[in-house]
Amino acid sequence: MEQELAALTERLAALESSTAMSGTINSEIFYWWCTALMIAIHAGFLAYEMGASRVKNVLASGIKNILAFAFMVPTFYFFGWYIYLSFYNGLLPAEDATGIFWAAFTLFAATTASIFSGAVIERIQTAGFLILAILLGSVVWILGGAWGWHPTGWLTVKFGYHDVGAAGVVHMVAGFFALGVLINLGPRVGKFNADGSANAIFAHNIPFTITGLMLIIVGFFGFLGGCIIYMPGEQWINIYGQPTTLSAFAFNTLMGMAGGIIGAWVKTRDPFWMMSGALIGIFAAASGLDVYYPPVAFVLGTFGGFVVPMVAVWLEKVGIDDAVGAFPVHGIGGLIGVVSCGVFASGYPNVDGMPPVSLWGQIVGAVTMAVLGFVPGYVVSFVLNAVGLLRVPDHIQEKGLDIVKVPVSAYPENYTPGPVNVATPGSVAASPAE
Amino acid sequence: MNTSPIESWEGAEAYFTYADKPAIMMLFLLLAVAITFGTIIIAAVHEKHAYNEH
Repeated sequence: MEQELAALTERLAALESSTAMSGTINSEIFYWWCTALMIAIHAGFLAYEMGASRVKNVLASGIKNILAFAFMVPTFYFFGWYIYLSFYNGLLPAEDATGIFWAAFTLFAATTASIFSGAVIERIQTAGFLILAILLGSVVWILGGAWGWHPTGWLTVKFGYHDVGAAGVVHMVAGFFALGVLINLGPRVGKFNADGSANAIFAHNIPFTITGLMLIIVGFFGFLGGCIIYMPGEQWINIYGQPTTLSAFAFNTLMGMAGGIIGAWVKTRDPFWMMSGALIGIFAAASGLDVYYPPVAFVLGTFGGFVVPMVAVWLEKVGIDDAVGAFPVHGIGGLIGVVSCGVFASGYPNVDGMPPVSLWGQIVGAVTMAVLGFVPGYVVSFVLNAVGLLRVPDHIQEKGLDIVKVPVSAYPENYTPGPVNVATPGSVAASPAE
Repeated sequence: MNTSPIESWEGAEAYFTYADKPAIMMLFLLLAVAITFGTIIIAAVHEKHAYNEH
């Protein structure tokens, strides 16, 4: 009898050990594939940017995007991850640690850099771009993550800030950072006339751009999966420690996306904006993906998809050339997401005695993310501009970046670009959002 | 080269050369940092040169 008990105890211990190891492996596999899917975001932005560029700048835009990815990995290794784990109290380091989410967080960083990358195509210098991309991807957004996307971040602890899908810490920060840079970078040559009126600069390949946007949507399922904490043997929790399910994320991501497409279609009839609307719809629902009733996510997505294209029109009217709508789509889409959570999830309880979700807490979070993104983008790009590292000279822009600094041609044999690539106001689809 | 500090699989979690020499590891880290940020300087020089040629 004693021998049987000892044998059973031994087998039970072995079973527990095996189950624990299976849980660890399953957890790692989950984040491995989230990371792989997130690479699709970068692939999508690559296609999106190259398609949105004119033929003379296609490869230069591609190179810039690929380099953003390459530089994000080592710099996030050097200091980005440390910032997330150490600066949740503010700007003073709290502790030094490491973790298993480094790869997933590195891809979040690459996503922020890609968001910014599209806004500045066709006229930013590579060195200046890389400095700004590293600042955004490996310093600024992750500081926002430490403050508002961390179980003990000060926005969470003091204000109950709720942003499970990173509408604020990724999209608002990246969008407002891009806006700060765009003010100093200036428009592409030919974008605006002397009287301030705008010309449409046509993308050379809209189908490629639309396909890229759809690829970004695919990648966002990895991104949002990476926003959930896998607890082997236990219930899923969100990044704040509140219980959640993959089911909630699936319902609300798809409903927000569909609403965004429909809202943008109703407003613009433009496939570029319809697919941008899909992203806007996800961001508009992102902060509360874990708690919303799916029709709420759908309505939020529709609202975002309808409203954001109007922001793009306004931005152009005030003289800012955002080539792919990065600020409206991510900055304003994210803003809608963060503030909406304070309206539609207000009172949702927090863990460990932290404040529940509130409109005030979400507004504080939104303002924090906007300032955190805008100020570094504006200040550092101002300095880079002053030392001649920001803007490509106008005569080089007119000639085209590929022929000046890329050793190969995008379409060497069978493609001859037409002579006109800048339209006069009101010629054809002057603004897709009008 | 026999640089591994690991002599048995028992308890081994990772293997890489010079893992027992902090100075060499620091050297690799500094080399990686230098490559990352040195490349940005090279990019700036290359661009200025390209713009001047055109």
